[in-house]
Amino acid sequence: MADILYDHIVVRYGELSTKGKNKKDFTKALTHNIKIRLKHYEKLEYKTLHDGLFIKLNGEDFNLIKEDLKQVFGYAYFSGALIVEKDLEVVKEEALKLALKNDYKTFKINTRRTDKTYPLRSDDINRQIAGHILRNSELKVDVHKPDLMIYVVVEKDDIILMDEKVKGPGGYPVGINGRAMVMMSGGIDSPVAAYLTMKRGLRIECIHFASQPYTSKQALDKVLNLAKMLSVYQENILVHVIPFTDLQLAIYKNCKESHAITIMRRMMYRIADRLCQKRKIGLITNGESVGQVASQTPESIAVIGKVSDTLIMRPLCMMDKIENIEMAKKIGTYETSILPFEDCCTIFEPKNPVTKPKEKDCLYFESLFDYESLIEECLNNDEIIKVSYQDKNDDGIF
Amino acid sequence: MKKIYFDNVATTKTNKEVLKTYKELLDNYYCNSDALYDGGVEIYNMLEKSRENIARLLKVEKEEIIFTSGASEANSTAIKGLCLKNQNKKHIISSIYEHSSVHNALKQLEDEFGYDITYLKPNEFGVIEVKDVENNLRQDTILVSIMLVNNEIGAINNIDEIKKIVKKHPGTYFHSDITQGVGKIDIDFKDIDLASFSAHKIHGLKGSGVLVKKKHVELLPLINGGQQEFGVRGGTSNALVDIVLAKTLRITLENKDNDNKIIKELNKYFKERIKEIPEIKINLENSIDNLINISTPIKSEVLLNALNNQGIMVSSKSTCGSKKNELNRALKAIGVDEDYAIRVSFDHENTKEEIDYFITCLKENIKRYG
Repeated sequence: MADILYDHIVVRYGELSTKGKNKKDFTKALTHNIKIRLKHYEKLEYKTLHDGLFIKLNGEDFNLIKEDLKQVFGYAYFSGALIVEKDLEVVKEEALKLALKNDYKTFKINTRRTDKTYPLRSDDINRQIAGHILRNSELKVDVHKPDLMIYVVVEKDDIILMDEKVKGPGGYPVGINGRAMVMMSGGIDSPVAAYLTMKRGLRIECIHFASQPYTSKQALDKVLNLAKMLSVYQENILVHVIPFTDLQLAIYKNCKESHAITIMRRMMYRIADRLCQKRKIGLITNGESVGQVASQTPESIAVIGKVSDTLIMRPLCMMDKIENIEMAKKIGTYETSILPFEDCCTIFEPKNPVTKPKEKDCLYFESLFDYESLIEECLNNDEIIKVSYQDKNDDGIF
Repeated sequence: MKKIYFDNVATTKTNKEVLKTYKELLDNYYCNSDALYDGGVEIYNMLEKSRENIARLLKVEKEEIIFTSGASEANSTAIKGLCLKNQNKKHIISSIYEHSSVHNALKQLEDEFGYDITYLKPNEFGVIEVKDVENNLRQDTILVSIMLVNNEIGAINNIDEIKKIVKKHPGTYFHSDITQGVGKIDIDFKDIDLASFSAHKIHGLKGSGVLVKKKHVELLPLINGGQQEFGVRGGTSNALVDIVLAKTLRITLENKDNDNKIIKELNKYFKERIKEIPEIKINLENSIDNLINISTPIKSEVLLNALNNQGIMVSSKSTCGSKKNELNRALKAIGVDEDYAIRVSFDHENTKEEIDYFITCLKENIKRYG
C-alpha cells in the first residue's frame, strides 16, 4: 500500500448553492467557521472557490484535519486532493498511486474540464488514465459501482486529482440562523438537543440549574464537560449556571407534591425566557421528548411552555430514547451523560406526579409564594462560564 | 569522581519535568482519589485525564489502561490473572528468556496449578522464531507471552507477526512485555490482548506502570480491593504517581525520534571504538541500539567491580536476577558464557566522551586483570 500525501483539501459547499441571495452570507460564515476550527494548523493556506474552499496543507497532517473538519456544519463533502502539473504522464502516475492506496478491486475515472482549451477531451483522459492503471495493477474498471472513484479536474493552470469524498455532518453553518439558549441538565438528551440546535445553524448558549448542596460539584463539572465537548462545533460555549436551590425549596414548601415538578419546570422556563430576553436570544431548545416523563406529556408541555414568551423548540420531541442514545454515542457525549450524579430534576422526585396538569392549579400554587423575587435572585446570581475544547487547565501537569 | 551511568535498561534517571510536576502534586494533594468531596474529586479527575492521555498516546481506549506498581505487577497480573480466570485451558507458550516477573509467574502456574508451559528458545540472532510459536499452538493454548525486546541481550522480537498468528487461533490470548520497547520501537496495539510496561524505564517514577488490557480480556484480580482500576487492581490508587505517568509517556514519545537518533550514534561510536580491543566480542550484533552485550576476558563480577571503582555503572546480568545465582537464560540461549559478559546500555543523555572514558578504563582493566 502506497502512502498518499495529499497536498490540498477541497471542501465543496454543495446544497448551500441553492440558497439564492443568502448564498454570500452562508459561504462567508462557513468559510469563517472552517478557518476557526482549523486555526491550530498554522501552515494552512486558504483559497475561496465559487462553491467551496481550497486548502493548501503545506505539510500539515491530512488525517488529523479530516477529523476536525467533520465537526463543522454546513458543507456537503470534502476530499484530499493532489495538485499536479498539466502533464498527463504525471497525472497517470499519481492516479495509479491513488488506485493502489487501499485494497480496491474496481475503479472509475471521472474527468471534468474547466479548461475547455485542453487538447484532450474528458473521455480521452479517462481512457488514458484507466489504461495506465489497468496495465499496472490488478484493478478492474467498474463504471456502475466502483470501489474507488478518481476525480480529475482539468483547471487552467494545473490538474486536480481527488479520490474519496468525505461527507460532512450536514446542517447549516453555525451562527447563520441566530442564537439559541439550550436548557442543559447533563442527561443523555440535552447534549443531543444542543448538537441538533447547532446543526441547524444556531449558535448556542446553555443554561443549567444547579441545586447545591442537593446536587454535587461533579454534576456541574459534568455539564461543563459536556459543553466543552459540544464546543468543537462553535469554538466556545457560554454556560449560565443558575443557583436554583432556594427557589426549588420554596416550591416544595408551597406546592402540592404532585405538582412540584410541573411548577419547577415552569420556573425554569421563566428563568430561561428572561435570560433570553436579557441576552437578546430568540429561541429556547431542550431535550424534551413527548411522553418520556410526567412533565413531558403533551398536556404538561403545554402548561409548562405557556410561561415563556420566547419561542421554544424541542428537537427531540418525537424521538425514541433509544434513538437519542444512539445519537449521543455518535457525537461522543453518552459516556459522560450517564455518569451517576444527581441533577436537580431527580432529587425531589414526587411519587405521583401529575401527568395532565391544569394551568389554573399551577397559577394557584404559584400565588402562594413570592416566586418573582426568587427568580430575580436566580438571574442576579447567574454564573457565566465560558468553556472551550481548546481550554487547557491542567497547569502543565500533563 | 565522575559517575558514568551505562545501565539504562535497568532503570533511568527521572526526567526533570516529571519530577518537578510530581513534587508539586505531592505538596498540594493528599486526598483519596475515590473520596467524594472536592479534594478527592479533583485528584480523581486528574487521574482519569492521565488515563485518557495515556490511552490516546498508545491509541487504545481509556478503559484499557490499568495503572499498576510497575511492569512486574503488570506481567504477573496479565499472566496469572488471565490463566486463573480461564482454567479450562492449561497450555502456555512463552520464551526461555522472559523477564523474571514473567518467568516466575509461569513457573508458579506450572508448579502450583499444573499448567503446561512451552518455553521457546531464540535462534542464533537471539530472536524467537514466529514459526516456532505457530508450530506449538494447541487446542488448549490459553496464552502466548513473548517479550518485545529482551532486557539482557537486546534482541527484538517480531511481535507484529506473532500476534497475527495468535489472532488466527481463536481462544488464545497474546501478551507482550513491552517494557524495553516503549519509546524505542513503534508499537501497534491492535490484536495485542495484554501488554505491560513500567515508567521508570522511560525516565519516570519507580513504582509506576501500566497494564494495557483490551476490553474483551477478563482477568482474575490478584489484588482484591474496591472499585479502583475497573476492579482489576484493588487498593487506594497511587494517584499522584499515576497522574505523572501521562507526562512521562508524552515526553518520551515526543522525543522518541530525536533521542533514538542520539542513541544510534552512540551505538555506532561504541562499536567503532570497541574494535580497538581485540579481546572483546559483541555478543549480539543486531540488538536494539541502546543495549550492547559484550564478552571480555575478565570475569564479569571482577570487571563490574573494577569499573565501579572507576565510576562506571554497568551490569553483568539482568538486574532483577542480580542477587541470585540465576542462570542468565538469554545469554545461554545464544551460546554465550555468562560469567564473562557485561551489559552496557545508553540513553540520549550519554556522550561520546563517556564512551571514550569507558574504553580507556576497559583497556586498562584488561591489561591488569585479563
